Amino acid sequence: MIALQLAIAGVAAGSVYALIALGIVLIYKCSGVVNFAQGAYAMLGAYITYFFLHLGFPSIVSVLAGMALMALAGMITERLILRRMLKAQIVSVMMVTLGLLIFLKAACLAIWGPDQIAFPQIFPSGAIDFAGIFITYNYVAAFALASALNIGFLLFYRFTSLGLMQRCAADNSRAALAIGIHVSNQVSIAWAVSAALAGLGGTLLASLGGLSLGISDIGLIAFPVIVVGGLDSLAGALIAGFLLGILEAFTEGILTPNLEEFLRSVSNVQSVGALQQVIPYALLVLMLLLRPQGIFGRRGAERV
Amino acid sequence: MQMTMRSFFIGLALAIAFALIGYEANRFVAYLIYAVAISAIGALSLNLLIGFCGQITFAQGALVGVGAYAGGILGNAGWGGLSLLGAGIFGALLSMLVGLPALRLRGLYFAISTLAAQFILSYLFKILVPWTNGVSGLVVKQLSLFGRPVASDQEYAVICVALLFLSWAFIGRVMQTNVGRAFLVVRESELVARGMGIDVSQTKLKAFLLSGFFAGLCGGLFAFTSRLANPEAFEIGLSVDQTAMIIVGGLGSLAGSLVGAAFVTLLPEAIQRLGELLPSADLISAFREMAFGILIVLFLLLEPRGLVALARRLGARREGPSSSVARSGTGVLQSGVAVSAQNRRKL
Amino acid sequence: MTLVVTDLSIHFGGVIAVADMNLEVKPREIVGLIGPNGAGKTTFINCIAGVNKPDTGTATWNGREILGLSPAELLRIGVARTFQSVVSLHDLTVLDVVKLGAAAHAHNAQGFFAQLFRSDRGRDDELCETLLKPLNLVDVAYSPIQTLSYGQRKSVDLARALASEPELLYLDEPVAGLTYQEGMNMGAVIRSVRDRFGCSVIMVEHKMDVVNSTCDRITVMAHGARIFEGTPAETQQDPEVRRVYLGEA
Repeated sequence: MIALQLAIAGVAAGSVYALIALGIVLIYKCSGVVNFAQGAYAMLGAYITYFFLHLGFPSIVSVLAGMALMALAGMITERLILRRMLKAQIVSVMMVTLGLLIFLKAACLAIWGPDQIAFPQIFPSGAIDFAGIFITYNYVAAFALASALNIGFLLFYRFTSLGLMQRCAADNSRAALAIGIHVSNQVSIAWAVSAALAGLGGTLLASLGGLSLGISDIGLIAFPVIVVGGLDSLAGALIAGFLLGILEAFTEGILTPNLEEFLRSVSNVQSVGALQQVIPYALLVLMLLLRPQGIFGRRGAERV
Repeated sequence: MQMTMRSFFIGLALAIAFALIGYEANRFVAYLIYAVAISAIGALSLNLLIGFCGQITFAQGALVGVGAYAGGILGNAGWGGLSLLGAGIFGALLSMLVGLPALRLRGLYFAISTLAAQFILSYLFKILVPWTNGVSGLVVKQLSLFGRPVASDQEYAVICVALLFLSWAFIGRVMQTNVGRAFLVVRESELVARGMGIDVSQTKLKAFLLSGFFAGLCGGLFAFTSRLANPEAFEIGLSVDQTAMIIVGGLGSLAGSLVGAAFVTLLPEAIQRLGELLPSADLISAFREMAFGILIVLFLLLEPRGLVALARRLGARREGPSSSVARSGTGVLQSGVAVSAQNRRKL
Repeated sequence: MTLVVTDLSIHFGGVIAVADMNLEVKPREIVGLIGPNGAGKTTFINCIAGVNKPDTGTATWNGREILGLSPAELLRIGVARTFQSVVSLHDLTVLDVVKLGAAAHAHNAQGFFAQLFRSDRGRDDELCETLLKPLNLVDVAYSPIQTLSYGQRKSVDLARALASEPELLYLDEPVAGLTYQEGMNMGAVIRSVRDRFGCSVIMVEHKMDVVNSTCDRITVMAHGARIFEGTPAETQQDPEVRRVYLGEA
């Protein structure tokens, strides 16, 4: 039954990874930029939500406030910074998002300090008993909420007219302009939505594991997700998010202990450390070597 | 930016000056000098790859780490000065390994593969305990040159400045050969490079080889001066630091690498002094990081060619409008406008 | 030293870009390749310059098959080309670019360490004299490309191609973007290059006055195929050519 427990934990984590990755893919499709600051958005969203909770606002209000403010932050980032850098090289734009990451992390450090903070309960406490495994409402709610938003977003993107405009603007901005779509507005919207989703993701992570600056590291797990899923595929981000969440859980739960036992018996190596953090990257490398466009991405742009 | 006879001799003079200062100064100043020199070697190596050859990489921290561990292990085994050479060689070899995907993957995808390389190598530093001593770090004995142990900070300052000068001169000279010219063309357009008869794959591998050598050298010096090779020092943070150095200093500029290294290394020290007014150490470190982040963003927004170009612009403005020719501040990074914007759409 | 291209065809997706194209270039001949936009001229050149791989056909240079050779290999056997758009090459100076061109020819290849330690001065003067002077580039020999005018950059590209000592030279729209006078000057330069270096030239171009005054022979392409071949005078008179270009009955 360990397998099932791990699968559940993995799926819950994976749904949040998908949320973050979705945002990165959205921005990538629109701006051609990989947003290093996405993890920082998640972290900031969590801290802002905590701020409102701390003031005594009800859970729903706080979470929504967090998302709204993050949407604003995303839009500001795009307007103030990205728009000025349309002509710059990719390395410059990626470095700018990196600089933003550094700045936001430091700002949160300055305001809230370096220590982990216990995140207030936003979901009812208790657990459900599923086939002998206890799953806290926290996990269930995190999974449900993240999945709802993931799928909801995909549906919105696919079936609404605003989603259609987003797709047009992302696919071919010149053509979109020609048919009257306000492309720069669409790009702002994309950034706003991505940041909001990231903010929610951060809040969910905080509710599961506590609030700390380390939440921004989730931006890093997003890379294997988007490469495996396909840099320009939203559905790919979703599926890859789950896959990698489960992979991580299984690595931590099964592979690591067994591997360590084996290694201790044949060599001096005592532990394999944070193997579950590295395995996604090994998978990333494998993917780039064998199928660079990812599972769902479009062929063409990756090879020289 | 080319290295002329004039700049060579200016460099030589500066090197001698700093070596002398380093030798005579107190421990702290000597430390500052060698810290900047070591970072500058790293910045030069990164600029060679990103600035001159256009290959975006995030693996610099790990490659410096490879050099640190290689140098430390060889030094502990009694190799003396040759351990620095060994550090460079291992750096070069690993760098070429990291660079192999560049032959098949396009820009952004390759950059992500280097990110993976950085994390995987970082991880290996931590778990290959028999070699690296894992998270505790590898204790490194004093560097011994020609049989004598190098004991003082002042002596290290002299050595580091000397090695920096040699590295700078070598790389500058390389940029004046066909190999270096090929780097520049490959950076602008692989298609044009191929059409000119340049072997693009070989050129990229050479760039990785050279860059890796100096990254390894940087790491080796790092290990000997801190007497410790600690995996936490060679994580993505170091890659970001050195990338910031070359962006702030000037991508594709030799002097810019040095200026950027000095700036980024000395900035925390300066802020530390200012910050002593603030109540807590955490707050100081937070403000230091905030300043770092803001500076990166501001430079990229306003003066993407870095401090060197900024200085040139200010100098030209003083001399009068007639002297600033086509060389205005927003040259390289924003030239090829249509090309890079279009490529991003196509990616 | 002849180039013989036979039945060369290439298609992209559903579009046939070049259809059974034939071309022959004799030693020391300057052949103009003209035709309306989309006729397939540049595609054809790309096929015989190692950029695209044609579907059918052969191309022999001095009896040796050159289809499928890379640009680098072509340069080594004396086939060089210029480019339509001149990419700004950062801080590279005129001499840098020309030296890169020279390095492409087999016997010019200097070892890396030789370059590292020996001075370049002698070589610089030699290159200035032989290549830069005829193209009026001596004054800007040490200037970065990005400070030059468009016309000068095209001359640098030509110098770069010439530096590899080619016996066959493809010029892709050498006077595009130049003024009338600059264009005529370039035409004269091309003729003098042929006279001095003894190479054969294929010149893709739109500007008829330059083509007429520079080329020995003209081949006209339309819809991927050759529709006429003859002297400049003959080409001007041919009704089919006039119809394709001017829409005359």
